[in-house]
Amino acid sequence: MGLEVPWVTGYLTQHFADEAFIGIEGYERAGGYQALRSALDMAPDALTELVKGSGLQGRGGAGFSTGTKWSFMPKDSEKPKYLVCNADESEPGSFKDRILMERGPHQMLEGILIAAWATGAEKTFVYVRGEYALSAARIERAIAEARERGFLGERICGKEFAHDVVLMRGAGAYICGEETGLLESLEGKKGQPRKKPPFPAQYGAFGMPTTVNNVETFCHVPHIVANGAEWFRGFGTEKSPGTTIFGVSGQVRRPGLYELPLGTPLEQIVFEHAGGPLEGRQVKGVIPGGMSMPILPANLLDVPMANEFLRERKSMLGTGGIMVMDDRTCMVRASCVIAYFFRDESCGQCTQCREGTGWIHKIVERIERGAGSNEDIDILEDITGKMEGQTICAFADAAAWPIQGMLRHFRADFVEHVKQGKCPFSESFEL
Amino acid sequence: MISDPTRSAIDAEIARYPQRRGALLPALHRVQQEHGYVSADAAAELAEIFEIRPIDVLEVVSFYNMFYDRPQPRHHVYVCTNLPCSLRGARTLLRQLEAHVGVKAGEPTADGKLVLGHEECLGACAYAPMLRVDDTYHEDLDSERAKRILDELE
Amino acid sequence: MPRITVDGKILEVPEGRTILQALDDARLLMNGVDVPHYCWHPKLSIDGSCRLCQVEVEGIPKLQIACDTPVQEGMAIRTDTERVRKAREGVMELLLVNHPLDCPICDQAGECKLQDYAFEYGIEQSRTREPRRALKKNVDLGPTIKFDQERCILCRRCVRFCDEISETGELRVFNRGDLSVIETHPSVPLDNDYSMNVADICPVGALTTQDFRFKIRVWFLEDVPGVCTGCSNGCNVHLGVANNKVYRYVPRRNDDVNDTWICDAGRLSYREIGSGARLREASVREGDAPPKPTGYAAAVEAAAERLRGVIDARGAEALVVLASPHATNEDLFALRRFCDALGVGARGAPVVRGREDTRLIKAEKAANAEGARRLGFGDPADALAKLRSGAAAALVFGHDALDEAFLGGPEVFAGLEALVLLDVYQSQLVKLAHVALPVRHVAERDGTLTNVAGRVQRVMPAVEPGWEAWSAGEVVARLGAALGLAEFEGDWSADAVSRRLSESVGDFAGVHLGSVGDGGRLLADTDPGSPA
Repeated sequence: MGLEVPWVTGYLTQHFADEAFIGIEGYERAGGYQALRSALDMAPDALTELVKGSGLQGRGGAGFSTGTKWSFMPKDSEKPKYLVCNADESEPGSFKDRILMERGPHQMLEGILIAAWATGAEKTFVYVRGEYALSAARIERAIAEARERGFLGERICGKEFAHDVVLMRGAGAYICGEETGLLESLEGKKGQPRKKPPFPAQYGAFGMPTTVNNVETFCHVPHIVANGAEWFRGFGTEKSPGTTIFGVSGQVRRPGLYELPLGTPLEQIVFEHAGGPLEGRQVKGVIPGGMSMPILPANLLDVPMANEFLRERKSMLGTGGIMVMDDRTCMVRASCVIAYFFRDESCGQCTQCREGTGWIHKIVERIERGAGSNEDIDILEDITGKMEGQTICAFADAAAWPIQGMLRHFRADFVEHVKQGKCPFSESFEL
Repeated sequence: MISDPTRSAIDAEIARYPQRRGALLPALHRVQQEHGYVSADAAAELAEIFEIRPIDVLEVVSFYNMFYDRPQPRHHVYVCTNLPCSLRGARTLLRQLEAHVGVKAGEPTADGKLVLGHEECLGACAYAPMLRVDDTYHEDLDSERAKRILDELE
Repeated sequence: MPRITVDGKILEVPEGRTILQALDDARLLMNGVDVPHYCWHPKLSIDGSCRLCQVEVEGIPKLQIACDTPVQEGMAIRTDTERVRKAREGVMELLLVNHPLDCPICDQAGECKLQDYAFEYGIEQSRTREPRRALKKNVDLGPTIKFDQERCILCRRCVRFCDEISETGELRVFNRGDLSVIETHPSVPLDNDYSMNVADICPVGALTTQDFRFKIRVWFLEDVPGVCTGCSNGCNVHLGVANNKVYRYVPRRNDDVNDTWICDAGRLSYREIGSGARLREASVREGDAPPKPTGYAAAVEAAAERLRGVIDARGAEALVVLASPHATNEDLFALRRFCDALGVGARGAPVVRGREDTRLIKAEKAANAEGARRLGFGDPADALAKLRSGAAAALVFGHDALDEAFLGGPEVFAGLEALVLLDVYQSQLVKLAHVALPVRHVAERDGTLTNVAGRVQRVMPAVEPGWEAWSAGEVVARLGAALGLAEFEGDWSADAVSRRLSESVGDFAGVHLGSVGDGGRLLADTDPGSPA
């Protein structure tokens, strides 16, 4: 079964209740591929400027200016240029790309084609995580339909514009969502991230200039072209314009997807849109942006969901995966789940990440079992400091931050385990 | 070893990539569709097709969760036990399924029908707990429904 | 040339180098400027995963790995700050979380980079209480290497070596995260001509050689610089010596000859030095009687007498001299003077040939074939023809002539009136020789060798033979003096010979024991661009 339609829709998801929107006829009937035609009447540079001016930030977690990224592609290049659509969505708590692919594959394709025109790319590789079988099937069908209709191939829409899209399925490795880990996997190797520089725009897929964008990022593009930068800036905040699709999960009444402007207060999303905690419970903590982002305690939820504000609270927007934990929750157990994930998914290259994720997991498990000491809590903090900012990619940071967040706001949970020699949260979720 | 149709499919994939090796993951998926896993012989054949060494193929297989280097039961039943799912009782569900089927996660059933397992986030967080049977998601589960899904597997 | 500062000191470096390369070029790395590292190696591609080489670069907020940071004009680098110290501590502590406490049983102890850097840059007290990974131990990875998977710190040097140097690709890293392990394919062992180099480059005791396993602790070994004698490449080595015995060769870096490598066959050729195949006693044969062990000096006199007998009766034209391509330049020089003074024309040096490759292994299986040629002992065809018909005496150094490429057997020597044999090893010639004299192996004497590219390299005495043996040059000098050749009066010690050589043979101008240096020195007419 595919994902349900979002509880709150916006320009990205407004047609998702219509099953026909998945196919090209339904998509075109709803106005699809008009933006592509307009884009093809613009000069590529002008198109890039438009997207830059709109302020669109990448929606894959890093939040880098999309138009700026496109402008890194070399203007004249003897080498073929490629786009990569990062559809490896594996951040725990995130499932927005999934619905975009299942219910709006042509919207994504249209965004890709516009980006291809702007950057001069001749081919796009869509890298879908291996477990998203339905998304992959729908994208394959959309590619076939687009090709049949002349939106892929030579002389697209009668212009000097050739493009093709190749879908590749991943095979179960979170690190393949990292830009250069993805490129390695695309090339048929282990998904071990590359040292940077060189950056993908210089040396990307198969050594050619490449731009990697997230699924959702591509999906915004047709709307920006159709309606203009001004319009786009009408949503969200000054620094973070547009909408995004928040995914709410955990111990909350109405888990699901919510397309809302960036900058929507977190507490509004959790308590109003998602209905707040379950019957008789209180919210204890919320992870705002996918499991790599540090947790926020209940008293710090009055924060607009945009990077410039979340950073002040020592967290980040990430992929907008909002995970709600109520007062039953043992944060040490939650940390066990988090720590195991990072240990399992580390690619293993860098010393600090490979050994640090393993050690953190072992210590947190021991504390949960009641065999930990106060020194262990200090060591945990210290290990995260030794992992940060010193590795080939940001995975080690992503592994370190959540533990730092837990210790920053819920150190008491850890101390109780040590004091009592066991887990005192008898009502918490089972580990 | 690798059947002709699979070989043709692999050749078609190779044609879509600027370098042969780009088609290795698609080829591994296809080989697994046929045999359920990547044997040493299949790895040797793939090595020849892709002009790399057999150890290069085995190395790639070892890195990814979805590739197996040994024979598998007919079905993989993976319960997501990441955080949002655990918060909604996923691990409890997995234990119930272990009891229902009579094997621990990671041990295949004696009749070769299925193996239970943990999996990391599958992108169904709002519909927890959930599980994946091969390519199909089953979401918004309760214990009874989950057991029935397993019982109905061939 | 960009100018950078490192810890306040100014350094001028070639264009296009990374910080580590620049420090290595200047021979400052770990030799004035401390940048500890594991995964980087001067002769392998850049890896960047160990993270130990992090340094501070002024103007860049994050620490940078020195192995992958290109130097730029004006760059200011600090290797000695608190941040760098903490980063190193972090890497060391994390590496030791899973590393087994094997030091008491590990061959690497004493030359282990994990021990060294943990001591120098690590924390004092281990804080981990967790059980460590349990992996494979004591595995024969192939015919030469012992593998301990638990000790591996995943620097991947071995993987890159097998890809880039031996080009055989036997090693890969399987799995991911802290389940990562180095593996071979179950049907493809680590087996190539250069396999044992991985034990050198492995910073820890994960890869060690089966040959050296448990033989001796490295801190008992003295490292004597020398040259491998297996082929004409002349790879530089250190002989590991203790108790007057050579326990191993390890390659010695020479960027003009062998980089940091040596082939397995060459590495194991140290075994020759103490082997049972050595010729250990001087002997003299009278009439049809078998050879009788004789005192060395007496045997030399007997040899001189034998030769004098033939020369007086038939003249020097009846004498054939076969030189050894394994001899030092100094030995060969003495032999040359001997031949010139006597008027011996029939001379040459048979060189056994074998397989060669495009890396280090050369076809000529002797260390000084080029030196022999330069000193007048070239193609032995004429000398061997003379031996077959017309010669009555032969002064033979070494037994290479017995090889099927030349004589194929000792028969032709049987009819000689005087056969004087000098050799390091036993052979079929010993029984036939009227006088057989054991001479010193290259590892037992001072001298120089000339490699195939014309590079003269120094050897020095590392061990003493356990029996009386002179150097071949000394024997020839004594023979010459006994035969009344005037120039063999006086000092024929190694140093004197070397000087005389440098003064009298054009190619060797300026090249003598004192001037050769650690890296060797090209002969006068050699093109420095030709492969070393």
